Amino acid sequence: MTKVLIVDDTAFMRKLLKSILFGAGFDIAGEAENGKQAVELYKGLKPDVVTMDVVMPEMTGIDALKNIKAFDKDAKVVMCTAIGQETIVKTAIKLGARGYIIKPFQAPKVIEEIKKVVGE
Amino acid sequence: MTDKVHLRTPVKIYAAGWVDAELIVTDSSLIIGKQKISLGEIEDLEDVDVDGIKCIQIKKEGNIIVQLPKNLHPQVFKYIAFNLKADKFAVYFLSSATVGGVVSSSAQWEKGYFSVTDEGLWFLSTKNQKRIPIDNLGSIKKDMRDVGGKQRMVLVLSHVEKSDVVTSLVLCPESTLEMLDNYLQRLFAKHKPAIKLSENETQILTLIYSGVDFVSIENIIGISTDELNDYYDRLVDAGLAKVVKIRKEIELTPRGVSMVDKISKG
Repeated sequence: MTKVLIVDDTAFMRKLLKSILFGAGFDIAGEAENGKQAVELYKGLKPDVVTMDVVMPEMTGIDALKNIKAFDKDAKVVMCTAIGQETIVKTAIKLGARGYIIKPFQAPKVIEEIKKVVGE
Repeated sequence: MTDKVHLRTPVKIYAAGWVDAELIVTDSSLIIGKQKISLGEIEDLEDVDVDGIKCIQIKKEGNIIVQLPKNLHPQVFKYIAFNLKADKFAVYFLSSATVGGVVSSSAQWEKGYFSVTDEGLWFLSTKNQKRIPIDNLGSIKKDMRDVGGKQRMVLVLSHVEKSDVVTSLVLCPESTLEMLDNYLQRLFAKHKPAIKLSENETQILTLIYSGVDFVSIENIIGISTDELNDYYDRLVDAGLAKVVKIRKEIELTPRGVSMVDKISKG
């Protein structure tokens, strides 16, 4: 079963993604509410894919992505962002993010994107 | 000087029932039955569904709904759209760059004209006549995007299309973009519904859009079924949602309980 790490500073968005991905048969390996926590959890949990919010306190999604990629160059990270932050996402793609989803999102499209990234 | 006639065809007009008429399309007007409409009078138009039939609604003082022969519908729609009473600006347009939160790989920049009526935004090209009703607009933002390898300022329109939130991009000279942005922001503010939602209502709306089922909504928000029903009523009353199904709650009769008892005993 594909293990997912959900990273978002709002509890609501984490619950929403958890509900969508769990319903689609993914294993929710863990949740982080900032970039720093995400990096620590990634190292411990070694998830198959990470959904990473961009704007977060303590450490942004971009910095967390850099750290995760430095630890595991094959890490599969999908950036999760709001409309208007696509420029930041472009930076993330250059840094090795495998895909991105834009809020508000619909369950089937999120599942499709995550499956595409993990190669299912 | 007489007007050049481009098209003459039988049509049906809807007025509490279908009425046969003739449509004559000329350089400067439409003649529908006995009514002559100058193209300059037409404020907007829209594809509408009447009795399951695709029609054109011509918006002016007193709207007209016209049913055309199927093969002529696109041609007439395009002709009226290009001649609407609205200024046109040469732009590049990227329709539905993202759909439902995911980047659309099939979206491509297209050259054409952008125009704005009181009720809608239009992108017009030879292939495409796309109308975005103002009521379907979620936001208008300027942003830098990579266009053909160069960073260019574009207008990002977030709007609803077939129940999906999509973003479309407009690229034009910066002075035109600035003017369009200012104008659209004012128009958008005028149309924005004056509805204030609570945090729970905002979250429930987002969950419904994402396709989360009602049991999960109750769990995520931490509310009971009755409370969720109250929220649903408020969202429906505010015109933000519509009822598509009324769910049934049942409990077992003594006979049903006895059946479960039998099943559990094998």
